[in-house]
Amino acid sequence: MTKPAGGRVGKRLKRILILLPYAIRHPGVSVDELAKKFGVKRSDLFDDLNLVFMCGLPGYGPGDLIDVSLEEDRVYVRMADYFGMPLRLTPAEALALYAGGQALSELPDMAEADALRGGLRKLGRALGASEGEAAGISVELQHGPDHHLSVLRQALVAKKQVDLEYFSASRGVITHRTVDPWGLIAALGRWYLVAHDYSSSDERMFRTDRMKRVEMKDTSVGVEGNFEAQRYRGAFSGIGDTTVVLEISPAAARWFEDYYPVVRAETLADGWRRVELTTGGEMWGAMLLLRLGRDARSVAPAALVIRAKELAAAISQRHLD
Amino acid sequence: MRRIERLINLIAALLEAGRPMSAQEIRDHIAGYDGQPSFEAFRRAFERDKETLRAMGIPLEVVALDLLDDRVEGYAISKQRYYLPDIDLESDELAALRIAAEAIIGGAGDAATGLLKLSVDMPDTGGGGPRIVWGADLAAEQPVLGPLYSALIDRRVVRFQYQPAGEAAARLREVEPYRLVHRRGHWYLVGRDRGRDAVRSFRASRIAGEVATLEGTYDVPESFNAEAVIGGEPWALGPDPVEATTVRFDSAMRWWPAQNLPELAGREAPGGGVDVELPVANLDALVSWVIGFGPGVEIVAPAAARRRLLEHLAPYLDTGA
Repeated sequence: MTKPAGGRVGKRLKRILILLPYAIRHPGVSVDELAKKFGVKRSDLFDDLNLVFMCGLPGYGPGDLIDVSLEEDRVYVRMADYFGMPLRLTPAEALALYAGGQALSELPDMAEADALRGGLRKLGRALGASEGEAAGISVELQHGPDHHLSVLRQALVAKKQVDLEYFSASRGVITHRTVDPWGLIAALGRWYLVAHDYSSSDERMFRTDRMKRVEMKDTSVGVEGNFEAQRYRGAFSGIGDTTVVLEISPAAARWFEDYYPVVRAETLADGWRRVELTTGGEMWGAMLLLRLGRDARSVAPAALVIRAKELAAAISQRHLD
Repeated sequence: MRRIERLINLIAALLEAGRPMSAQEIRDHIAGYDGQPSFEAFRRAFERDKETLRAMGIPLEVVALDLLDDRVEGYAISKQRYYLPDIDLESDELAALRIAAEAIIGGAGDAATGLLKLSVDMPDTGGGGPRIVWGADLAAEQPVLGPLYSALIDRRVVRFQYQPAGEAAARLREVEPYRLVHRRGHWYLVGRDRGRDAVRSFRASRIAGEVATLEGTYDVPESFNAEAVIGGEPWALGPDPVEATTVRFDSAMRWWPAQNLPELAGREAPGGGVDVELPVANLDALVSWVIGFGPGVEIVAPAAARRRLLEHLAPYLDTGA
């Protein structure tokens, strides 16, 4: 974990400096609204306000100190015009917001796309980008045909079921599935659909570029997910419960570990890395083994190698001359 | 007096003064520094505070106070860089940016803080916005991105230790940042490598340690095109000379290139499949990519590419290894 910039004091100071412009520009804002908007407990908010009350300008007389008063649970901050204007975004804040906005604005058929692009343009100008320039950031996310994304988005908004023809690479076949769509997640540079899958009676992620056909049904969703984007951090490999243990060559280990959500890793005597990861299933793990070739050795589960050999036999068959 | 009060007093005084203050002035006039027993003790406290403010991104600048004697330094906070410029967001633009901020996974905290700064004058919607059905895992929380982006906006040269995949040791690079690109789940800095005098891409996760910002500035050439440095599929860029490679998608798979590589014209292949010719510069990446489709996709030509695929699978072929 990285330390918060400037340590604990820095973190609190940052909160106070962001909170003050809001309190100054909204005289009489309620304690609860402030606490909610800035994600602090009431008691912490009182501590912050008491602290500010002790600060001000050189001289530090009654006319120099920041005037903070609480009247019937309403907050008034006066005598601090220099804290009355909002702060400039830090590069990290601008980048996160800009990247997120750009990711969504590329989605086909998005109602908010124009407003989003307008907002990004203004944000870019505030960052110092010249007109027309994309503020120095590109976000590239692959997805299937625009049509697929449009249908999925409509189904998500209307809460309707979706019929999919989906290519399962590890099995090498097209499967027909009916799903309850929950949300769209961009990870590792592509868009996935998160859905309840009736054929496995479980939550699954589907690559939008591996959907051959997408069709919205009249039926309303049966299983509603509580879609929270943050839950899907690093979950692209499929929401699964199959633990796979591999050994990765030193050459491949570094990129491997920053590409895949490794749960545990240790260095072995020969310099190889033993990594543990949670995957959507054995077949996913077998496919991973094949793609790594000589840069990986399989440890567990035992069936992984058997699956990998079956798959390798099928793929190699047609490459033998 | 607590340190955080001293910091607030320092920011308040420098913002209000609107001119640089010397160390002596700060010690004499700003509450919290005046109690320091010696100038040395003051120096230590002040250095620590400067560090905290810089880490938070507060633009504390050191300027020469005396044109004839550059040892006399003054300290100032640039209002222009401290306050958010008036960017005049419409409420629909802000609402769209809020959707983007809530969709961000990895960097969510920064996006949320950025949004708070932008929305200081906007009425609180009370969280009653549209249901969020998107999430984008953009890995924007990597600490190295902030300094890189900051340098890119200010057109400042950066220096960092970089460790390419497969190399044992990191080496120092000096780069003029042209663009930050999120691609296939990773952030890349694209810019001119001064040592090589060529435009290169650097994966952010392979930058080791701190990013230093150097004196001097540069221009981004008008002819710069990030796509040409970092564009395309994984096999499109790499160490090998570009060679046309023919990949066959079986009849059951021919929808895939039609949907996802529409710019490439396919040729009819025996058995109802389609042959697609790809300009391949990284054969290993192509092999891994083809294997990822399972048995429905085949490298047809050249023969050397077919052999490479078999070699790659050899550890899992009973005849091979």
